[in-house]
Amino acid sequence: MAIENEIRRLRFENGEMTQQALAESVGVTRQTIIAIEQNKYAPSLEAAFKIANAFGVPLESVFRWRNG
Amino acid sequence: MSYREKRAWIALLSYCAVFGGYFFFLWQAWSLDEAFGRELVIPLLAGAVVALVIAAVVLNVALALFNPKEATAPTDERETMIDLKAERIASYTLSTGVVCLVGALLMGVNGMAVAVFLLAGLVISELVKSAAQIAYFRRGA
Repeated sequence: MAIENEIRRLRFENGEMTQQALAESVGVTRQTIIAIEQNKYAPSLEAAFKIANAFGVPLESVFRWRNG
Repeated sequence: MSYREKRAWIALLSYCAVFGGYFFFLWQAWSLDEAFGRELVIPLLAGAVVALVIAAVVLNVALALFNPKEATAPTDERETMIDLKAERIASYTLSTGVVCLVGALLMGVNGMAVAVFLLAGLVISELVKSAAQIAYFRRGA
């Protein structure tokens, strides 16, 4: 998948936030957070903003487009 | 395994067990050259539908009791997308079956056999839907 993310690192930097806690703040299931974190699922723009908001960082600090 | 994936497994296994038994019984009756008409098909189908409803209700209620939080949670965007993708694959399966059966009708296959195969098409499309959901859940999306 061409979209990569820094969710694992950001969870670590935010006091080892659990996938469940992030899922609850975004309003998705833990399995969806796992799929996003492993680059298996590209979230909607709304969910992407919610994830960035949960970490208090801009969207581009969480997700980036990988060329090729 | 997510709650929705468990539900897909319940649907898959319920359909396999109930309609596997239904079609096996029907096939046996057919191969023994017994009466193959409404008097056999309708009560058997009614029994299968009742069994399917009972199995689905009992298993889904049990699942909800063991997972009360997930049972009341709304479907998220990835689960909705998986449902839609699986529905699309199932609709292709059903459409293919219907086209084949229209061909069979035009070639003069008897109406009762077509009705049985039409039901088989519906069951197969449901199985394909559940299997596709499980595959997408396993794969991530």
